[in-house]
Order: sequence, then C-alpha cells, then structure tokens
Amino acid sequence: MLQLVVGQLLNGVIIGTLYGIIALGVTLTFGITGIVNFALGAFMAIGAYLSWFFTDMMGMAYPISILLAILVTAACGFAADQTLFRFTRNNLINGLIVSIGLISVIQSALLLVWTTTPKNMHYVLPGILNFGWFIVPKMKMVVFGVLMAVILMTYSALTRTWAGRAAYAFAQAPEAAMLMGVRTRLLQTGVVVYSTALAGLGGALYASLYSLEVSMGSSYILKGVEAAILAGIGSVMGALAGGIVLGVAEAVGSIFLPAAYRDVYGLVFLVLILLFRPSGLFGPGR
Amino acid sequence: MKRLAWLLLFAVPLLVHDEVVLTILVFTYILGMLAVSFNLIFGYTGQLSMFHAAAFGVGAYVTELAMTHLGVSFWVGMLLAALFVEGISLVVGSICFRFKLREFYFAVVTLAFSEMVRLVVLNWNSVTNGSLGINLTTKPTIWIPTQGLIPVEGTRMWYYLSLVALMAMVVTCTRIVHSWMGRCFAAIRLNDGLANALGIDVFRYQLVSFLVGNAGAAIAGALYAYYLGYIEPGYLSIDQSLAIVAMVLLGGRASMIGPIIGALILTALPHIINFSAELRVMIYGLILILTILVMPKGIVGTLAALRAAPAAAGSYAKRSDVL
Repeated sequence: MLQLVVGQLLNGVIIGTLYGIIALGVTLTFGITGIVNFALGAFMAIGAYLSWFFTDMMGMAYPISILLAILVTAACGFAADQTLFRFTRNNLINGLIVSIGLISVIQSALLLVWTTTPKNMHYVLPGILNFGWFIVPKMKMVVFGVLMAVILMTYSALTRTWAGRAAYAFAQAPEAAMLMGVRTRLLQTGVVVYSTALAGLGGALYASLYSLEVSMGSSYILKGVEAAILAGIGSVMGALAGGIVLGVAEAVGSIFLPAAYRDVYGLVFLVLILLFRPSGLFGPGR
Repeated sequence: MKRLAWLLLFAVPLLVHDEVVLTILVFTYILGMLAVSFNLIFGYTGQLSMFHAAAFGVGAYVTELAMTHLGVSFWVGMLLAALFVEGISLVVGSICFRFKLREFYFAVVTLAFSEMVRLVVLNWNSVTNGSLGINLTTKPTIWIPTQGLIPVEGTRMWYYLSLVALMAMVVTCTRIVHSWMGRCFAAIRLNDGLANALGIDVFRYQLVSFLVGNAGAAIAGALYAYYLGYIEPGYLSIDQSLAIVAMVLLGGRASMIGPIIGALILTALPHIINFSAELRVMIYGLILILTILVMPKGIVGTLAALRAAPAAAGSYAKRSDVL
C-alpha cells in the first residue's frame, strides 16, 4: 500500500510540474497582458507534434528536436501575438474568445497535417531507476528535472535581472513602469512569446512520455489555469506549487476515491479556494 | 414591421419545400432560443456564464428521465426539467453572486460547476447511460382541434413548434428587458457599484437574470433533444458553452435579434459550404477571431453603428448603449 501511495505521489509530482509549466505561462501572460491565453494548451500540442516529427520522421537527436520544436512554437506564438493578441491587451473577455478561436484553428491545422491517428514517439530513453522499493522510468525523471530547472531559472531571471524586475514593476503599476523606461510593447510581446515557448517545451517533453492527440492540450490548459488560480495569479513559484498540489491530489486521490470523479475533486477544491481565498493558497490573504 | 417579419416566418413552410432548409431553420430556432436566453445573462446583465450548456443538457436529460420514470407527458417533463434546472441554478447562482465573483472569476467558477455536472452525467451510468447517451423513441404530443392528440413528427410540425417556442422566448425576454427589471440588469452591467449605491439589489437581479436565462436553456435543451432524438453528455461540454458564446458575439450582444442571426449563420454555414470536418472547425475558429477583432459589436451592432454613424456624431450616450 505504501509503495502504491509513494509511486502515485511521484507520478503526481511529475505530472504536476507539467501542469506547473502551463500555469507559469498562464500566470505570466495574465500579469503582463491582462488576458488568459487559453490557447497555451494548443501551443503545447504544436510543440509535442513537432518534437515527434523531428525525432521520429526526420531522425534528429531528441534534444535538438526539442530545441527546434520550442523555436517553431515560439515563432507561432509571435505570429499569434502580432496578428491577434496585440489587439486584445487588457480585454479579458475578448482575449478569452480570441484564444479559444485560436485553439480551433491550431487543432484543425494539426489534424490537416498529421491526421487523427494518435502518434507514439519511440522510447528516447528506455529503462527505469530502481530506488529499492519503488521504481521510476528514467525519462520521467529527466522530464521532471528539466521542467524544474526551467521554472527555477525563470524565477531567478524574474527576480534578478533588469528585464525580470521590469516585468514585476509593470505587473504592479503599468504606468509607473512605463515612466521608468520599461518598453511595454516589447515586454508584452516578449511575455506572450515566452509563455508559448514554455508550452512548447512542455509539449516536447510530454511527447516522450505519452501518446499524442490533437486535443491533448485542452485538459492541460484547464489544469494549468486551475493551478495558477489555486496558487494565486501572478506568483511564479506558486504556479509550480499549484501544479504539484493539483497533480499529487489527483494521483493520490484516485487511489482512495472513485477514479471516474478525479477531475471533480480538483474543481471542488478550486471553487472553494476562489470563494474563500480569492488571492490563492499562497497569496497575501483576503 | 416586427410582426410582419414573424408572419413571414410562419409562411416559410408554405413557400419552401426543401427539407434541408426547413431543418436548418428548426435548428436555428431552437439554438436561437438558447442564445437569446444566454444573452439575457451575458449581453444584458454582463455576466459571462459558462453554465449555460449545463442547463441545456440537464434540461434535456431531466425531461427524458421524467417521461420514462414518472410517465408524464413531454410538456410536464419539460416543466419539471425547467424547475430542476432552476434548483441547481439557484444554488450555483447564489454561491457566485453572494461571493461577488466578477468577470473571469465568475466565468471560471461557473465553468467549474458546469464541468462537475457534466462529469456526474457522464459517470452516472445507471441513470444516464454514460457516454453512450440515450435514444429517444417517444415524441411530444400536441392537441389539435379536429384531430385530437397527435405526436409532433416531421420537419413541418417541428418548424411551427420551434418557431412558436422561439417567439415565446423572445417576447418574454423583450418584456423583461424593457421592464424595471431590465433597467436594473443594464445598471448592473454598466456599473454594479453605482447600481448598488442607487438602491438596486444587485444580488437579487443578477440571480433573477441567471435563473430566467437558465430556464430558457432547459426548455431549449428539451426541444433540441426531442427533435434530434438523441441525448449524450456532449450537450453539456465546454464546446457547447463556447458555441453559445460564439452565436451571441457573432450576431451582436446588444439586441434580441442578434443571437438568432448568429445561430442561423453558425447552423447554416456547414451546410452551405461543403468542407471537411477539420476545415469546418478551423473556419469556426476564424469566424470567432475575426468577429472579435473586426466587429466586436457583432453583425447587428455593426450595422446599427453604420446606419447611425452620421446622426450620432458628437452625441455621447445613445439609448442603444444603455438598453
């Protein structure tokens, strides 16, 4: 029993970092541009399909194809920002609808190119790590490590570099930040592109673990938004923590409670948080 | 003018004998009801509710369950469904409005409730038959003077039934919007703090608009299910909620006719242009994006603005902005 719980706990943490990377994109975009980009899940799917394509179809090394996938996803993100999101800054509902329209466009484009057949990447890193009384696939550890590293690096970049502090300043007081010489348009575009790049990375890593479908991103974006809200919108480490809390709650919860309703528990939790602590679990209180 | 338009719609089956056209119109009327009832919450009161698909789907399921298990007629079943949906909406609405959830938070919480309801419908196999859905074999019946009680069958009868239902919905909503209550809705949409300061019970009127809108959705759901002859959990999906939002935005949220036009376009489009399923989804997304970016007021709003542009130059708040 303990073995099962620990195993599910680890699984939850690893899935949780995937939720976390999407939640990070959601949080950053919301803080800087005032919209929630629901298309991040679809960008994740782009990253996943591209990394599968570069690795299995073009025969490239997996790390290189991850980098290429991130670059192309970010380019798509840049195009989307310049043609769409640039016009919906700080307009929550319009941004929501535009990003939802974008999901349909991206998903059907992926279907047109790569059809509905689910794609399975060959095992890039087979084998398991044996910790005595529980085991973890090596690839899952790698995915976990990379995502953790990226989230931590984002955190230190945001707190320690000029651009990062400018972003914080802008999120707090846009006009004051503008007066202090923050180039707001560049910052906003940069954040939108960075969040899509993060989603692309998440997708590229996801491709090595699970089978790919066009709609794979939709549950991840919901969980990402949930995690961001759980933790309190605007907090980087909160996004990671929120993702892990959600992942662990789902994984461990489905041992003890009926698994068919596993998505319900997260939703109930989310509603309660929104009602009683709208600033999030780790936010400054009501 | 408006009465003439309704009369013309009643004459359509006499002039048009094409089954496809009539079928599209039946779907337009039923989905139009859904969009009009949603617009009461979204367009007139300013609350982006994502609960509408849940009300629609639960309306359909409860009607069926009441008919099978209680042995009541379609109409009584529909009434029970509307009452049941009112019960759920009262709980969901009270929670959301009591805690003063705004904009995005309101959308997320209603979406969360809607997903909870969908997951229950999806997993409660013994009652709802899970993801397989239920085939509906019975038909609603109506009483006609010379023929007695007859089942509603065929496109033509459904055409009249759905048109009458749509008309009832539009008349009800118009009455509400132009009443004292409608002014309260508008005040809440424009500035809820000010509305509160003026002595409007914001909680009460938000709840009323949510309840009336969801009752409309439940009735539309019952009609839709029995016209299609099939219920499945997809009725309650997020996609269904978004389709409703798309209809309202495309048509224009500041009018009664707008959502119906939006419903007509989104229903008819797949039949007019014969595309593969993938392209259809893409075009749907593009319409959504272009509507927001090019004409955020929707078709009706844009046309009205074009017509009023010379006259309105220099004037501030128009009546159409308030109502």
